[in-house]
Amino acid sequence: MDAETLMAEVMAQRTNGGSSTPGLQRQPSFSSFPSSRSPSSVSMRNDNKKPRSPQPPMLREDDGSLSSSHDSSHPPVAVRPALSGKIRSQYPANSIQNHVEYILVASFDIDRGSVMEHQYPGPISGDETMLAELMLPDQAHVRSQDWTIFFLHKDTSTEEEEKETRRQRRRRRRRRKEALKDEDDTTAGAEESELEDDDLDDDLDDDLDDDDDSSEESEDDNDPDGPPLIYNTAKRGAIVKAMAICTRHSFLHIYKPLLLLALEEYFRAPVLDTLASLYNALNAMDLSLLPKLSPLETFVLQASDAKDIFVEKFLQIIKQRKVADSERDSFPSGLSTNSAEPLRKVYAPPRDTHEFESKVNYNGIPVPIKVPTALSPETVGDFSLIKLIQTFSTPHTTQPQPFALHPHLTTSGAYTHPIIVLVNALLTQKRVIFLGHNRPSSEVAEAVLGACALASGGLLRGFVRHAFPYTDLTKVDDLLKVPGFIAGVTNPAFSYKPEWWDLLCDLPTGRMKISNRIESAPVTEGLLYFQQQGIPVSGVGGVQQGHEGKNFVDPTGDSQFMESLLQSIANRHGENAIRAKWRSWVLKFTRIATAFEETVYGASALHVGSHETDIGAYGVTGHGFVWPDENSRMKELAANVHRVEGWRSTRSYYSFVQDLVHKWDKRPVRGIDLHHQHDRLRCLRLSHDQSAAIYLALARAVEEAGTPGSSTSNLASAMSQSLTLTSDPDRRRGEQLQYDTILQLLCVIPESNSGLFYLSLGLFHPRLDVRLSVVRLLERIMEHPAGRHFWATLGRFAKLALRGDWGSKLEILSTATGYSA
Amino acid sequence: MGGQISKMMNRIFGSKEMRLLMLGLDAAGKTTILYKLKLDQDVTTIPTVGFNVETVTYKNTKFNVWDVGGQDKIRPLWRHYFSGMLGQHDSVPGTQGLIFVIDSNDRDRMDEARTELTRIIQDREMKDALLLVFANKQDLAGAMRPNEVSEKLKLSSIAKDHVWKVEPSCATTGEGIFEGLAWLSNNVKVPPTK
Repeated sequence: MDAETLMAEVMAQRTNGGSSTPGLQRQPSFSSFPSSRSPSSVSMRNDNKKPRSPQPPMLREDDGSLSSSHDSSHPPVAVRPALSGKIRSQYPANSIQNHVEYILVASFDIDRGSVMEHQYPGPISGDETMLAELMLPDQAHVRSQDWTIFFLHKDTSTEEEEKETRRQRRRRRRRRKEALKDEDDTTAGAEESELEDDDLDDDLDDDLDDDDDSSEESEDDNDPDGPPLIYNTAKRGAIVKAMAICTRHSFLHIYKPLLLLALEEYFRAPVLDTLASLYNALNAMDLSLLPKLSPLETFVLQASDAKDIFVEKFLQIIKQRKVADSERDSFPSGLSTNSAEPLRKVYAPPRDTHEFESKVNYNGIPVPIKVPTALSPETVGDFSLIKLIQTFSTPHTTQPQPFALHPHLTTSGAYTHPIIVLVNALLTQKRVIFLGHNRPSSEVAEAVLGACALASGGLLRGFVRHAFPYTDLTKVDDLLKVPGFIAGVTNPAFSYKPEWWDLLCDLPTGRMKISNRIESAPVTEGLLYFQQQGIPVSGVGGVQQGHEGKNFVDPTGDSQFMESLLQSIANRHGENAIRAKWRSWVLKFTRIATAFEETVYGASALHVGSHETDIGAYGVTGHGFVWPDENSRMKELAANVHRVEGWRSTRSYYSFVQDLVHKWDKRPVRGIDLHHQHDRLRCLRLSHDQSAAIYLALARAVEEAGTPGSSTSNLASAMSQSLTLTSDPDRRRGEQLQYDTILQLLCVIPESNSGLFYLSLGLFHPRLDVRLSVVRLLERIMEHPAGRHFWATLGRFAKLALRGDWGSKLEILSTATGYSA
Repeated sequence: MGGQISKMMNRIFGSKEMRLLMLGLDAAGKTTILYKLKLDQDVTTIPTVGFNVETVTYKNTKFNVWDVGGQDKIRPLWRHYFSGMLGQHDSVPGTQGLIFVIDSNDRDRMDEARTELTRIIQDREMKDALLLVFANKQDLAGAMRPNEVSEKLKLSSIAKDHVWKVEPSCATTGEGIFEGLAWLSNNVKVPPTK
């Protein structure tokens, strides 16, 4: 009852939000908004050093008035004026985009094979039979429950973003058996009529699935308390059905429990209405209070473990809602509903800003769900990188087996770590198959999705688009038309067809195999370049250079990386930490590729703005990856020759180049390569003057972003000013630019890359002007809604140093400003 | 226990390994035969979605038996199971034995069965395969006897290049099943496994 009212309320909000009645969107409501917040933001500056309350309290809507007493109960959040613009929702209530677009049910018919039974709200376009086959994986008859994911790609319009055209579907199927009371079909019945039901399942579970606990744990769906199932049309002993939902969301795993409930319901009532009620329930889910984050914010959120990072955005969107609510309530106030209605609306800020909690009311059951706040590209469903890495690491650690060599893949010789071989295969666009014989299709699907995320690192694209999380022999002809696919299968027939794949990853054994039919790597300019210089190139030749066994040099650094990664897993650092480490690996790979192209080909498509960064606008020049010396640079480049050359002609390479151009246009500060300069602080032994230049440049980049009109005496920086600010009419100014600049800096220094540590070392610089600039920079970061979390994790020593400087600073502040002017 | 004994036997006499593909129209009894072989018990089967594969050791031969679903819509997939199944390390290509299962009581579909069998057995990949036809469901009154089955399938013409045999069987009791395997084992030409 309560649930239904709540839903009705949501619907009402939707219609109101969607209407463009001017009365509802009057300006006064918003202009009153910042004024109510500004006292709190002032007080919060003072509160900054106090410990924050761990849990933001629940906010209760009273009568719509936004008193400051409420605000004082918020956690101290420095809401900067720059952020006062209206926060937009990731999934606005008035969006025409549904959460879920179709609900489908397929079943396995003894005569006709897989068939589509029902579709809601209408028939989905495309090959229905093929969809039905995808929904019912091989050996579906052996398991009582399974699920899988597949992608439908609409190639009609290139106008839409790829994300939009990609549709994801996941489905869950379940099998129900019924006792064999079979009058319809005498032949089948005669053979089986004397047999006991359930034998098959028991026997098969014992014999086939003894290593398969994951599917067993959720397999008890033939529960005796279920309703009696009578299917008169069933010819032989089982009903195999699958239900699927079709959504554009990449977090489709959240719908799993709902599909389970709905399929249960469908077995009870196999009618279209069952699909309709699920469809309506899912689309009524309210995510309108989930704020939209910029790409920089998204990255910083993902890299941070702080549970309240960006909480101010959630609070603000709640406030906006409250204002809208009170507006709406006060407008038709004569209509008496005032008394009870507003009290029921309770908006709570999230307990963890990394996910947004909502619920779906299905059949009167409120099903809680959590939607991730920040989505990375190429991250679909709920896979585990840790599981994927462990699956293939364990056999390699205990009993290493040599790979057949291929320059793109075995970059550290025959005993290259399998996970590195896998990533190399994905980067160089090989055909990769994950095989899980006698495993549920969900397991192979997870491995495929995990592999996509692994190779992407949240940076590269084009893997999910060519992934087939689960496929079978019926689709093999289409599969083989796709260059560089990533597919999951359960049928071992695939393993006997080396002409179908380049790398076969067997999940049950945790072994990978490079096909003997793999296309050999062509000789490239890059290879010749390094060979002519007499620098050993890793890969095929590696074996002769003593890469056999375990004690080989590690020119790519991959062995060391894998060791530290496995150490992290052993120390239970968690999925997020592992994903962050992979991201850094992929990032490093792209930066090495940049340096490689510049070395071999003289220029790189992977670095967009060298004409801007190398101009020295902030007194420092240079861009890209930093090596301690020329020798190690050439060594590392040579070690990467094959896979970089292999990558340079792939889809992920081309889309990465496009993305870089796009990102460059939106980059808050372009006259300095922040990553490069920070790397120099980190990796190089710099003279005091060199490091001073970097600290001053970083501080100036942040400071000047906040004051776009400020006079810069330096000619070069005037040029940079024109480049970074005036050349782009859309460039945001002032506070917003500074806010973004700090985010850009924070992106370079996630906790996995030492955080603020190297910046804070500037507090100990011998030059006073440098120390003061660093103080100023760190203060800016502390005031920043995300930066304060970075500050919080910085060591005590640096903090004390900052305080110490602080006292003596006031008098000299004029000197500091004098310097920058 | 049986497994251990057969392992010992392998050591003493050497054993062979043989890959068998079991096909037939839907509801002919393929899966029932497979699990009779594997588990020596009757099981209640349901239509096979895709395939089943089991390794069965009988006498001194290890049989790798593939049972592929028989619905007409998925029959085009059978060809994918014909070749290369011994794995890359094996030099012997192709399937060594085809078991084709007939529902001896289903006279109406004998033409359909013959058409399918013809298509399979004349595939290039199958040229060296032994052909064993199980005339299954012999326990039913009015079941066709082996002679009638081989006549209706026109084996002497469609399988003239193959070594073939029709074995009467009843999957639920196991009658004929092991006799069929013994025949395959005796006629296969494979080097003993290392």
